[in-house]
Amino acid sequence: MSPRVTALALALLAIGLTVAQDLVPARDWYHGWQYIALLALAIIVMIGYAWGARDGSDGVAGRRLALAMAGAIATATAGLLSGLIGPDTVTVVGTPGTVTPVPDLGVAAFFAPADPTSLAHGDPTVTLRKPGEGPLEIGTQPTPVGLSVIFTQMRPAAYVVAHDAHGNRLTVTQPNNPSFLSPVLLFRQQQQIRDKNFPMDTFATPAANRIARVLYFSAADLAAFRHGLPGAANAAGAVLSIADDAGNSRGLTIAASGLPVTVADLNLTITLGTYPVLVIASAPQPVVMIGGIVLFVLACAWAAFARPKGAALSEPLLTARDSPAH
Amino acid sequence: MLSACYSGGGPKRSVDFSAGPAMLAGAPAVSFDVARVGGGSDSLAAHRGSIVLMNFWATWCPPCKEEMPALEQLYRQYRGRGLVVLGIDQGESAATAGAFARAHGVTFPILVDEDQQYASSYVSIGLPTTVIVGRDGHVVRGIDGAQTLAQFRAAVGPLLAAK
Repeated sequence: MSPRVTALALALLAIGLTVAQDLVPARDWYHGWQYIALLALAIIVMIGYAWGARDGSDGVAGRRLALAMAGAIATATAGLLSGLIGPDTVTVVGTPGTVTPVPDLGVAAFFAPADPTSLAHGDPTVTLRKPGEGPLEIGTQPTPVGLSVIFTQMRPAAYVVAHDAHGNRLTVTQPNNPSFLSPVLLFRQQQQIRDKNFPMDTFATPAANRIARVLYFSAADLAAFRHGLPGAANAAGAVLSIADDAGNSRGLTIAASGLPVTVADLNLTITLGTYPVLVIASAPQPVVMIGGIVLFVLACAWAAFARPKGAALSEPLLTARDSPAH
Repeated sequence: MLSACYSGGGPKRSVDFSAGPAMLAGAPAVSFDVARVGGGSDSLAAHRGSIVLMNFWATWCPPCKEEMPALEQLYRQYRGRGLVVLGIDQGESAATAGAFARAHGVTFPILVDEDQQYASSYVSIGLPTTVIVGRDGHVVRGIDGAQTLAQFRAAVGPLLAAK
């Protein structure tokens, strides 16, 4: 393979790797040594080729390709710096109906109020507000904001309605969570069962002296454990373990979403659904990345029409000699 | 106020904005329509233009019970000067909250927030929580925990004095 083909192949690879940070953000791999090494290798090879080609040793096309390499090097450098020194991925879990500051971006994130219907529907939108600017709605599609890309991920959530044995509505608290008085469980913890992690959360009903541990089981999880839910086949369910204030177990049951269950003197209705979390991942500097790609494409096009002295036809960018088969 | 990191996606670090209701000072005060003991509905927004003291409480909460007499005294002393006191029960039924109010001689309006929207939106990290809203509809102070009458007076007195 000729140096020109090698450089072009690595340029395309480096551009692809860099753009991937925007298109498929928040992957561990972008901060790993393999990713960094690949981009560094591509940059070194491209610099080597461009340095040699700029004096015409690879013809007129090579001289023009040196410009293309400069563009690809800029893009790859943006990707390398983002992977190497860009901020870690941050997941912001906001309590429904609250405004959560996001210092990394200098914005406030508004997490919409949630009720059983909205959780079941699963609206993925989180609204960002910055002083002096209009609101920016973030969804599941990555949105570049400064040197970051932001998107939402839907995570399991549950809305809890509790009544005592006499039908009195009970306050739901979450003593272990920052959202102390929200009846919406966001399953911030995990519990391992048979080598699999299940979303887990807890809540309490202080008036009834009960503490509940809730595991979120998807429909597939329930099927794997050979548990069907009466009246809610192929649906997710919540495994509820109830204890009293002293920690004594008072009952265990599985609740289908939206259907009341009675356990340990509590009448509980758990509506399962999803609620967005905000994910902030590092991204390449957009101006450098896009500018580099534009320069690469334009210079490649220019090189494709390069005409050597005395040649009647344009010099092909890749010749038969460059084919991998040769 | 909160946050956490899940597994999956990029290197992680925790984000913890644990500040409670105090961090809301200066923020626009959100309002929800909820039932009012005695019938009808009420909301913070209905009292815009007044100094409003919202107290989030529940009948099972011992410090809330201890604080009630001070709130009642505050209400009786300052309602003529334009102070609105709203006791907003969190997560219980109107019957439960109403019975408690009658038993304890509470005369200020008791609202029933069955879905706990007020307390969760105002970042309550416990009960009772008190939020004081200015005439302009912005939060002046968020206070975690039970207060004495003197503390309530000190909080609302300067606001009522300012025109």
